[in-house]
Amino acid sequence: TLKYKLDNQFELVFVVGFQKILTLTYVDKLIDDVHKEFRDKYRNEFQQKGTLGLLNGTFDFKDDFMRLLRDAEESSKVRAPTVMKTFEQSLKSQKTVKCMIETRGEKPKEKVKNKKNKGSKKEGTEAVAVPGKASAGDKQPSAAGDREELTKDEILQKNREEFFKRHMKAGEKSSKSPKPDAQKEKGKKPRVWDLGNSNAKVLDYSNSATNGSAEACPVEEFDPDIALGDRNREPGRLYDLEYESDDEAEEEKVIQNPSKPSAKKGGLGGMFGMLKGLVGSKSLTREDMDPVLEKMKDHLIAKNVAAEIAVQLCESVAKKLEGKVMGTFTTVTSTVKQALQEALVQILQPQRRVDVLRDVMDAQRHRRPYVVTFCGVNGVGKSTNLAKISFWLIENGFSVLIAACDTFRAGAVEQLRTHTRRLNALHPPESHGGRTMVQLYEKGYGKDAAGIAMEAISYARNQGFDVVLVDTAGRMQDNAPLMTALAKLIAVNAPDLVLFVGEALVGNEAVDQLVKFNKALADHSMAQTPRLIDGIVLTKFDTIDDKVGAAISMTYITSKPIVFVGTGQTYCDLRSLNAKAVVAALMKA
Amino acid sequence: VIWRFVQGRRSSRKAVLLLGLCDAGKTLLFARLLTGKYRDTQTSITDSSAVYRVSSDKSANVTLIDLPGHESLRLQFLERFKAAARAIVFVVDSVAFQREVKDVAEFLYQVLVDSTVLKNAPALLIACNKQDVTMAKSAKLIQQQLEKELNTLRVTRSAAPTSLDGSATGGPAQLGKKGKDFDFSQLPMKVEFVECSARGSKGEEGDADFEGLEKWLAKIA
Repeated sequence: TLKYKLDNQFELVFVVGFQKILTLTYVDKLIDDVHKEFRDKYRNEFQQKGTLGLLNGTFDFKDDFMRLLRDAEESSKVRAPTVMKTFEQSLKSQKTVKCMIETRGEKPKEKVKNKKNKGSKKEGTEAVAVPGKASAGDKQPSAAGDREELTKDEILQKNREEFFKRHMKAGEKSSKSPKPDAQKEKGKKPRVWDLGNSNAKVLDYSNSATNGSAEACPVEEFDPDIALGDRNREPGRLYDLEYESDDEAEEEKVIQNPSKPSAKKGGLGGMFGMLKGLVGSKSLTREDMDPVLEKMKDHLIAKNVAAEIAVQLCESVAKKLEGKVMGTFTTVTSTVKQALQEALVQILQPQRRVDVLRDVMDAQRHRRPYVVTFCGVNGVGKSTNLAKISFWLIENGFSVLIAACDTFRAGAVEQLRTHTRRLNALHPPESHGGRTMVQLYEKGYGKDAAGIAMEAISYARNQGFDVVLVDTAGRMQDNAPLMTALAKLIAVNAPDLVLFVGEALVGNEAVDQLVKFNKALADHSMAQTPRLIDGIVLTKFDTIDDKVGAAISMTYITSKPIVFVGTGQTYCDLRSLNAKAVVAALMKA
Repeated sequence: VIWRFVQGRRSSRKAVLLLGLCDAGKTLLFARLLTGKYRDTQTSITDSSAVYRVSSDKSANVTLIDLPGHESLRLQFLERFKAAARAIVFVVDSVAFQREVKDVAEFLYQVLVDSTVLKNAPALLIACNKQDVTMAKSAKLIQQQLEKELNTLRVTRSAAPTSLDGSATGGPAQLGKKGKDFDFSQLPMKVEFVECSARGSKGEEGDADFEGLEKWLAKIA
């Protein structure tokens, strides 16, 4: 697998290739070190000589690289055992301290929890436990750093539940005396992030309500913590896990408070930075770009680009611009906008040829029909656009056979028959040397679509038709049997072009549709290289004014070009995509 | 003032662009022209430019710009540099030509119908590279094939559906004369075909065989 790092200032790319199985931990560090060394060593040559310097200069970096590689390997080896040691120490030491400190107040709470876990049948106790839990829960959010209230609460509970003590199993569990907790609180703050992140999912607020104070033991070190949770569970003490999650809940709240004041401070500094950025050259940093990128992302989403696509786009633009030196009098906004615009145009530019007519001519030369299949969800305009495309082909002098493989929808075959009649009226056989330009191949309703397609193709070959347009039934991407049927049709008949028809009104759904369609096609094909979607037809383009984001989402997901754009319901409403115009509409405020 | 204005206009187009498909040999040709040495090259991700001094005439110099050939990048860089182009060297891989004829023709077509290119009419040289390999096609054959291919392309391209905002994709630019088959002489710019080999017949240590290219560059400068 590959990992890469960009240096935008000098336009360098550092790529590391390694075996994924080996799970080398030092790769990131290595690439950073290599980057720094290389840049510092050859900085002069880059700045002064430009291209000629690059061509002429000999870069004897091999020795340095070997040295860095050795260092990285050694450092990774050394780290692992030491981690284990500290873990051991912490565990053992913590256990001893913990066992010694046990206050009465803690016990009832733990017992409540024990009871819950063990599933004891004491209804009465449960009833008492519930209000006790609820009150503790109320206290929990407000008493993030407040130790006194908790202890009062504990005392209350203790008085209430003293009666049930003999029913509870003696809590061998450690207590949290407030003092060690307060100490640990301070010590924990810097480490709070890791915990919050890793165990955030385990958070179970309903359970955390029962226990306000956190257990010291599991939460000493970061990495060992996660493992430590497991360790404690082994002896069969279920409630340990919940203690841990309580801890996280508390610390999460603690986190929020310190983060707010820091945000305010950042605002003031940002203003000066903006002024500084206007004049003189400075290199772009992540912080400069973030607010602009946020705005751009929201703008894109407002223009109907799928949310995850917008996020990924902004990410890649940030990566591309990070560290780049801006020229004078260019603001961060303008640079970012420019880069985003370039990226969008590049996405929409077709990467391979989109010339359908050329391919049809080729197939004509080989005396076989050119097969195009239309697929998509319900109601996007497959049949309508099929008719438009057949009109366009007839105008260019190719004869078309329409295969009605939509055997499900009522009226599908009649619809195509009407289109055929109209097209033949527009282009009568007399004006084309006596051949009927359009013909419909249908076998009624309820039959197997793949079979009809195959017969249609062989019929076209016998009769000498140039193009076969296969219309399929609309299907939702989640409908597994229908997706299988479509995949079978495509795999068996091997069409020359598989077009996915999508409407421009779709928003985030576009991503899901395309991904699932492609996946279904790939899964059910037996061949080595499965036939995937080759192109996109974007329909109903006239219904959106400038919210043209769907085009971006679709091309980004599949990286296949938009072959046609449908802009209405008459035969002439077929266009090809103009990337610049679409991007201009997209970036317009 | 007028003289300086005219001078400025002329000098603003001092660049010679190296265009072509991926793996045609542009970057190696670029390195050879500038330094005379052979270097291992990777697929270019970005452009490189340098000033080339014509060997015969010391005063004349042109800026050589090597653009990436990859499909997703080529148009972007072409947009950026086309206004500054005084001449274009279109590098063609003579060995893989048979296979890639359609792609070569498509790219060439895109370059030729571009409105800026048509307006400036820079001199065009089609360099048939990799002549050191035995299976390389000759320049004449390449010319014939390209003419045929471009002939078909201009029909299909102009027949494509019109673009979204009304501007036709084929453009008002019709390559060559309508009635006749396409010929390179019908273009408004001077087109020449030349054979060359960036690697050189003697392998990596020897010099590259591109006197034709160098002579043409000297003419342009």
